[in-house]
Amino acid sequence: MAEEKSKSKVVKKLKATAAIGAYQKEWFAGLAERVKNGEDFAYLNADVPMEIFRAMDIPFVVNQWWAAICGAKRMTAKYYGLLNQAGYRDDLCSYCATALAESLDPDDHAIGSDGKPLGPWGGLPHPTIAITRLTCDCQSKIFELFAKNHGASFYAMENTQPRKAPLNWYEIVEDNWEDLYDTDRLDAAVEELKELIRFLEEKTGRMFDENKLIEVMNLINEQEAWYKKTRDLIAETSPVPVTVVDTINAVMQAQWQRGTRFAADHARSLYEEIKALADAGEAAVPNEKYRLMWIGRGIWHDFGFYQRFEQKYGAVFMWSMYLAMGADSYIRNHVEEDPLRALAARYIGMEDFLHMPPWNSSWFLQQARQNRIDGVVYMVPENCMQAVEGSYFIKKTLEDAGIPVLEFKADPVDARKWNAQSMTALVEEFIENRVMKGEK
Amino acid sequence: MVLRECAEKSAAFQKLKNAYTHREEAAKAAKAAGKKVVGTLGCDVPEELILAAGMQPYPIYAVPGGPMDMADKYLEYAFDPMVRAQFERIVDGSLNDFCDAVVVSNSTDVLIRIYLYLKELKRVETDVNFPPVYFIDWLFTRRRMHQERNRLTISLFKEEMEKLAGRVITDEEIDAAAVVCNRTRELLRKIDAFRTAREMKLTGTEMLVIIGGGFYMDREAYNKVLEELLEELPAWPAVTGKRLFYTGSVQTDTGLYARVEAAGAVIVGEDHDWGSRYFERDYDREMPPVRALVDRYMLREFSSKKAFVSQRVEALDRETDAAGAEGVLFYFHIYEEAASWDYPSQKESLEGRGIDTLHFAKMHWPQTQEESDAFSAGLKTLIEGKEA
Ligand code: SF4
Repeated sequence: MAEEKSKSKVVKKLKATAAIGAYQKEWFAGLAERVKNGEDFAYLNADVPMEIFRAMDIPFVVNQWWAAICGAKRMTAKYYGLLNQAGYRDDLCSYCATALAESLDPDDHAIGSDGKPLGPWGGLPHPTIAITRLTCDCQSKIFELFAKNHGASFYAMENTQPRKAPLNWYEIVEDNWEDLYDTDRLDAAVEELKELIRFLEEKTGRMFDENKLIEVMNLINEQEAWYKKTRDLIAETSPVPVTVVDTINAVMQAQWQRGTRFAADHARSLYEEIKALADAGEAAVPNEKYRLMWIGRGIWHDFGFYQRFEQKYGAVFMWSMYLAMGADSYIRNHVEEDPLRALAARYIGMEDFLHMPPWNSSWFLQQARQNRIDGVVYMVPENCMQAVEGSYFIKKTLEDAGIPVLEFKADPVDARKWNAQSMTALVEEFIENRVMKGEK
Repeated sequence: MVLRECAEKSAAFQKLKNAYTHREEAAKAAKAAGKKVVGTLGCDVPEELILAAGMQPYPIYAVPGGPMDMADKYLEYAFDPMVRAQFERIVDGSLNDFCDAVVVSNSTDVLIRIYLYLKELKRVETDVNFPPVYFIDWLFTRRRMHQERNRLTISLFKEEMEKLAGRVITDEEIDAAAVVCNRTRELLRKIDAFRTAREMKLTGTEMLVIIGGGFYMDREAYNKVLEELLEELPAWPAVTGKRLFYTGSVQTDTGLYARVEAAGAVIVGEDHDWGSRYFERDYDREMPPVRALVDRYMLREFSSKKAFVSQRVEALDRETDAAGAEGVLFYFHIYEEAASWDYPSQKESLEGRGIDTLHFAKMHWPQTQEESDAFSAGLKTLIEGKEA
């Protein structure tokens, strides 16, 4: 199969990807042990400011990371069957509802007849706390149901909309967040953090220490600064030393460890490894002709998809939001002045940067230019209102700048709905008819 | 619209029906008389403030079956069909000759997107012409800090309405508007008591007209008509049928209710804002105006869109009790997904209390033939209590 032949060699070479995979397993086993020993354990949606939990040393797992693990373990068909049996629809919010579905699985912690655990990585330990933000209408409902199934305390954080939206957010966010956001919006977000801290102190008996938060925030700045260097390096290198297949996993997994020394060092090692490849002139796709940008969540159940266009066309997916968001949206300098406000300035913008026009469209264009992109493949997720993000405006912004865009619908975690053949054909047609014809 | 003879013969009801049917008349008349007209999208735009500014609120409704060129161009497929049609009417210029502004409240997630898209359209597609757009960013989670934040939000909205009106809105004006709105709610509650009484004298279809007619009338004139109607109601004949509560997608015309009631049921209550949720909770005139507005809109019964599952279960239990419902019809349009997460828990609670349920999700608007057949069959089962 073309898929086999076109496998990027570099993906196997990157030690950083293997290292984070191994670390995650070990970390997860340690977490399960802590939970077994009676510690509180928080299950968080990705947009919850996990820095607070890190600073308070409350073990946590992030919903979207866990959904990706379940997707990669191909648990989704079973899980959606369980949702269905319980009376829920099985065609909704697949990404965010994976763990809710898993909570219905009586075998989650069981061992199979072959001696192997039946649940992914032995199953999710029972959380005592489940927290989400109200960034869409479904999330709070899913989290409340999930919390109930686990006997956990449910807590929701509010979300506000910006009144002002300067287009160049990525240029000012690191230092001038007071200019970026409405002042009252930042004030409200700080109040949300204080309320969350009060809740966690009550619930866990642990004290929140602001000095510890400063340490965590600075470690994150260190980590994300390496991502910035990595992104810039890849952007300026032709042919690219690595593809999204290499970077997505390495970065996404390490992002969930952000605020630790390990994650900052891992980001440095990722940079150094890629830099060495670039210095040695190693190409991910030696016949690189076209640089593709992937907009959307990762296709966790078919990562090979990204590589199917390399050998035939020299078309390489070299950009995804995972590395670039790390590079552009996390760093908050001079944290010491007001760490909670700096954290507020980080967490309230994340969804808007990605999902709100014009912040998303202006950034995608800036990134497409920096990375010398020849074509954009844009996956609009099915069944997710949060990811309804102004696709018209994104496409228009990019195409007005002369960059062709292929837009299609798919589900990032539900393998049942994914037709590899037709998706591959769609992208091939796009490459042949638009990218190769040099629309740009 | 299936209405009984008593309704057709009632002069008061006919005035309401006329306003309900000819929805632009009052807005256009207000505009011609020099008033400003404010189109509203979402059920949490405080009409007291708009009325206090001497402006006429105009709820933007969806028209079925019309062209969807603009919606198809600018919106992703995941916008529910009614919101698509409402968006179409805003951007195709239909409102331009009588609406001075559009106010969007974040009553559902999809409306937040609509607001962002309208704002972006204004920025990048300057040839698409529609009224200026304002937004109210409520927080519906019930904590002290969110109530405080809502006070700021409503103060800012008041300032925007003052700019639009070209003058200050005084506390006295807000109070006077609140008196009118509270009177409307009081009258509607009294009228609704004829629907929820043991001996029902009003149908759900009739109640939709009575409530919705007022959206498109001068509010003081509306109250007078409601007073007239209230006088008449004791003499209206009783209706019989299985008492159903309706939960789900807003019904801005009488089509669905008329079908349900023609099949032998009476819709004795609902939780959408073109129904009984509209007159739930008064403006507390003892409070300063901004506090009173926040209290009224933030703390009324949980909407089916913005609440936790446990809150929705309890809300529906309360509402069905109050209406004396024997069954609940759940009905959701395609892409109106959030409430689907509530349904299994609600069903369990309702059925545990001996209340039957019937559930339709992902329904097109209007229904497809296949959906229509399934709907009829389901109703028959629910109403007659046997397999159709
Ligand atoms: S709408 Fe999207 S973000 Fe919200 S719960 Fe569903 S899948 Fe998640």
